[in-house]
Amino acid sequence: MVMRKTHVIGKPFPLVEAQKKLTGVSCYAGDERFGPELLHARILFSERGHARFRLRGVEAARKQEGVAALLTGRDLHTRLGAVIEDRELLAVDEVKYAGQPLAVVAAESTEAAMQALAMIQIEYERLPGVYDIESALAPNAPPVHPHMASYRGFDQVQAEPERNLAHQVAFQRGDVEKALASAAFVLDHTYTAAPLQHAPMETHGGVAQRQGKGGLIMWMHTQAPFLQREVIARALHMDPKDLRIITQCVGGSFGSKVFVSVEGLLAAIAREVDNRPVRLHLTREEEFRAVFMTPAMRARVTMGLDDQGHIVAIRAIYDWNVGASVDAFLMEMQRIALAGAGPYAIPNADIQVNAIYTHLLPAAPMRGLSIAQVHWAVEQHVDELAEMAGVSPLALRQRNLVKGGDQLFPNFVMHANGLESCVLETARAIDWQPDHQREASGAVASGKGLAMGWSPILVSPHCKSRAIIQCDGENLCTVIVDGVDVGQGYYAFITQLISFELNFPIEWITVQPTDTGNYDSDWRAIYNNLLWSTGRALLQATAELKRQILSYVSEMWEEPMTNLDIVEGEVISYATKRRLSVLTLLQEGTGEGAPPVFRAAGVYEPEVKAESLDGALQSFATTGYAAEVAVNLETGDLTVLQLAGAADVGHAINPEGVKAQLKGGIIQGVSQTLLEEMRFKDGAPVTIDFMSYPIATTADMPQQIHPIVVEIPQSTGPYGARDLSNHVLVGASAAIGNAVYRATGVRIRELPITPQRIYDALQTQAKTVEGNC
Amino acid sequence: MKHDITFTINGESVHLTVLSHQTLLEVIRNDLGLTGPKYGCSTGECGACSVLLDGEVVNSCLVLAPEADGAEIMTVEGLSEDDELHPLQKSFIDHHGVQCGYCAPGMLISAKALLSRTSRPHEEEIREALVGNLCRCGAYADIIKSIQVASRARR
Repeated sequence: MVMRKTHVIGKPFPLVEAQKKLTGVSCYAGDERFGPELLHARILFSERGHARFRLRGVEAARKQEGVAALLTGRDLHTRLGAVIEDRELLAVDEVKYAGQPLAVVAAESTEAAMQALAMIQIEYERLPGVYDIESALAPNAPPVHPHMASYRGFDQVQAEPERNLAHQVAFQRGDVEKALASAAFVLDHTYTAAPLQHAPMETHGGVAQRQGKGGLIMWMHTQAPFLQREVIARALHMDPKDLRIITQCVGGSFGSKVFVSVEGLLAAIAREVDNRPVRLHLTREEEFRAVFMTPAMRARVTMGLDDQGHIVAIRAIYDWNVGASVDAFLMEMQRIALAGAGPYAIPNADIQVNAIYTHLLPAAPMRGLSIAQVHWAVEQHVDELAEMAGVSPLALRQRNLVKGGDQLFPNFVMHANGLESCVLETARAIDWQPDHQREASGAVASGKGLAMGWSPILVSPHCKSRAIIQCDGENLCTVIVDGVDVGQGYYAFITQLISFELNFPIEWITVQPTDTGNYDSDWRAIYNNLLWSTGRALLQATAELKRQILSYVSEMWEEPMTNLDIVEGEVISYATKRRLSVLTLLQEGTGEGAPPVFRAAGVYEPEVKAESLDGALQSFATTGYAAEVAVNLETGDLTVLQLAGAADVGHAINPEGVKAQLKGGIIQGVSQTLLEEMRFKDGAPVTIDFMSYPIATTADMPQQIHPIVVEIPQSTGPYGARDLSNHVLVGASAAIGNAVYRATGVRIRELPITPQRIYDALQTQAKTVEGNC
Repeated sequence: MKHDITFTINGESVHLTVLSHQTLLEVIRNDLGLTGPKYGCSTGECGACSVLLDGEVVNSCLVLAPEADGAEIMTVEGLSEDDELHPLQKSFIDHHGVQCGYCAPGMLISAKALLSRTSRPHEEEIREALVGNLCRCGAYADIIKSIQVASRARR
């Protein structure tokens, strides 16, 4: 028996595109070369919130020199959406939100396009708008979508359009009222989280070119080409087969390049011009004003604890301000309901998740999938409960955390998991102690806090995935998949898997950019379970490919296939000791006729039993966070001194890659917790650049960061692995919040934790203390 | 107004006619076809467009093209020599100093300038040198490590 070298699985492996990215040759938005025939598109966005509007000067703009095509909502009135079509491609008569597209133009140059749009005057007549959850739910509030019942997909949501409820997901078990009534401690608090902007460094863009009469090719920087094809084709009444999306390098997405934002407008305008390519590339200000926000959260949480230290009940109502569109947020709501009780085995639970329509720009989930915000609430609440009962927050967590074998949902038994290891390891990393309170030096006090996290990994019937591997003499081993690498290491994983399964040198393997033209049907690997779905498809494909190669050689050598194997790029016979390089095989074959081409496909199609809440649940990613902070008690200034983040990845196929993701999650966690908040005035964003919407720089990094990899294998995942990148920052905010409490004695329940909020809370605390004296 | 300008970019001399309002970034990307420097914000806040101008890091989105007349410019494309990767590039590959990669050309330029000032920078100096280069993936820790390792390798 020849031992297989396992040199690629579980060993450090660089990012596949790294060299291209580092030499400046990768193709991002704006980098495509198309020569002088390239046209440039610009979009006219509404600057106002809810209003009636008229456009004047459209015909003059259309005739402006250099303009190739111009569309308004009157030329092309169509709706779009993945499930519920609650957005218009271009507004007609009524603007629902600031940032809504009103017109799109393609011209010989960006300047000509801008000049054309500048000729259009927008006359607004202001209408009453609702911009936050409270005003949207108030009696007599204007409904954002009074005609929602007529939208395609309305039957897919639980909505009450007249009172701005866009969708609702609820989950119950046990008897919460009864359990709370008999609990020794009951605690009730409200937590909020601000809307965020995904703010990828690469703003949205792409190129589209009409092909003949009906076809269209788009070169796009998207995470979800198949989803985008479906949505755009439907909006433009095209056959999806006529729309081909070729993915390019993605300069960061974080969820903003999954659902269609401005891409539909690019497609629409490109169809208006004669087979010339049209480029769209948003400015940073447009990216802030008009792409997506993440929904703001209001969480009302009640928990009950018995005198034995068991959390006996939770009631949590999560309200989300989804702006004028719930479409991109629907699946996350299911996820939120499943995660909504926190990572605890609580026998009585009542979780309600509401999406509230307002006149703000559409919401889309961001990395952390809003589960990060859910934990901001639950994991601070657990600390507050622990203090109320006089027990250690770690001990309370250990007593109540969810364990393998717990059945919390009807069709799902919790798998073995590393949740407890995650929290213990992070606590150890920063030397968290149960009896350790604040340390003060002058005006600066420091403190440490913990939090855990769990994040459901779901599949839907649409999450089927396909992989095709072809081996031939020219290209050696090329791989076609339906997911997209956005820097998380997806292509590295694919390369590692194939290299291991076929025992090929990694240099032979090329992952092709994802192209909807490679498939005749709709394959749609979704971003949160790429490793799982593509991994399983690839395992099928590699098994079949290996069978084909060995079968071919078996005939050539006239030896039974069972004698043969592939070892380090060679077909060998264990019986006769013959060897043949696969390279030679691919280039020469038997020496007679054309050399062989081997091609195999694998498919992963999940069995989703029912459209129930738990029917699509596959597993939970679990995380732990521990933070040490320093707070200036005079100014409220907050510094994160150290932050430890742990995640159970099942099996770290690329350990350094996993750590890189964890370290990135830690930085984003700090950024979201301390810095980020999208602000609006009369419904229009006023955070429109990196000055008004700062994201973490090297100056905001904690002095020490501790990425910790926990590995409790997932029996159903490839090599026991579980997806990570989306879940990586769950728990970070609450750990920092809990640390701030320990340092200061004040509890901040609004995210982000700004110096102003700490200062105000300290002032209130001081007044309360004075009043008590 | 049009200006005839000459500058050296990645060792090659170029002559161009540019308009007064054109930025150096536009000229490098559109006229010279070097798309390593990226558009990120056009306000000098993100550093994705960083290039070396006479050895100093500048946001090329804030430099007007006529100002570059007579200058010596380096973009990320000029880092590797004869297809041999620069030690910084190698180190970024080995230590996961790149994720989505959009900030990488600017990061490398800032790192290159730092290493020409200080051959073996401390972590604090590296953090300071990169403060104008935003990375939304949050890869800072690995970027810093990549630069540290590269600086040691050079010696």
